[in-house]
Amino acid sequence: MASSSSSSSPVVTERRGIPGAQFVEDVQTYLTQSGLDVNSALAFLQERLQQYKVVEMKLLAQQRDLQAKIPDIEKCLDVVATLQAKKGTGEALIADFEVSEGIYSRARIEDTDSICLWLGANVMLEYSCEEATTLLQKNLDNAKASLEVLVGDLQFLRDQVTITQVTIARVYNWDVHQRRLRQAAGDVKDS
Amino acid sequence: MADASFTASPSSVRFAVCVFSTPTIKHASVIFYAGGGSETEVTWEDQQNINKFGRLNNRFHELEDEIKVAKETNENLEDASNELILTDEDVVRFQIGEVFAHVPKEEVETRIEEMKEVTSKNLGKLEEEKESVLAQMAELKKILYGKFKDSINLEED
Repeated sequence: MASSSSSSSPVVTERRGIPGAQFVEDVQTYLTQSGLDVNSALAFLQERLQQYKVVEMKLLAQQRDLQAKIPDIEKCLDVVATLQAKKGTGEALIADFEVSEGIYSRARIEDTDSICLWLGANVMLEYSCEEATTLLQKNLDNAKASLEVLVGDLQFLRDQVTITQVTIARVYNWDVHQRRLRQAAGDVKDS
Repeated sequence: MADASFTASPSSVRFAVCVFSTPTIKHASVIFYAGGGSETEVTWEDQQNINKFGRLNNRFHELEDEIKVAKETNENLEDASNELILTDEDVVRFQIGEVFAHVPKEEVETRIEEMKEVTSKNLGKLEEEKESVLAQMAELKKILYGKFKDSINLEED
């Protein structure tokens, strides 16, 4: 998707694979430069819009995933912190946990130094309390950073969508205006 | 000569251009009408203003949802601390992560107080941001309506 040279508009040409929408200073110049007639230009812009929508769906799905992951990691950090706090006192932590829907069982967690973390892909590793905290904290920070980048991408994408939509409206407008002028010229000639 | 041809031309067709926020949130639209070939030119600055308005609108809806969730959490914590006062047990099952740990009542009280503080502060911050977003949107509305008058619609559905 090559973007034709723009008429001195300060636009970011692309961001992480998302092509930037070229801002059109003047519709007439744009049409002559790209060599397209009105209908082809409109079709091209519509197609661009569709592509943007597809990417937007993808990014939104990723964002939802991340937003679900972050509270999970925070909960794990909570538990590890509680275990660490209990460590000094020497008393066991009694907890009720869910065995199955609606069925809970009681567990007695003795003073322990090691914590097992589920890393996904059927892998569980044993860590010391500090290592577990560090790992979870790092995961949390990464997730938050990814979320920020994602939000930035979404904003950029939405801007490009807006620019494209406004351009479509303007090209259409211009076309209507041209037809009017032609009509008026035609009338003057005929009368 | 009567210009009967005018009524035939699509000058009265309005071309709605919408900026949608995320699909889970009701869409808020910024509609730019291509009304009858009006000649107001759109400069890069105007475009940036429109973009900014769209972003603010999205953020506004996100904030509204976040505020709703924060208020609910606050209420839940209130209910929890009320229940706590009523109960006569010494050990309360307090949810940490996915499990319910047996925690002495006083500690639970302290924890709930802390959580309430955190959520109220968060709520305050969100409300503040919402105010600021609304103010910025009002500013932009003034500017954009000033330039485009009827050709643009910045209201909610």
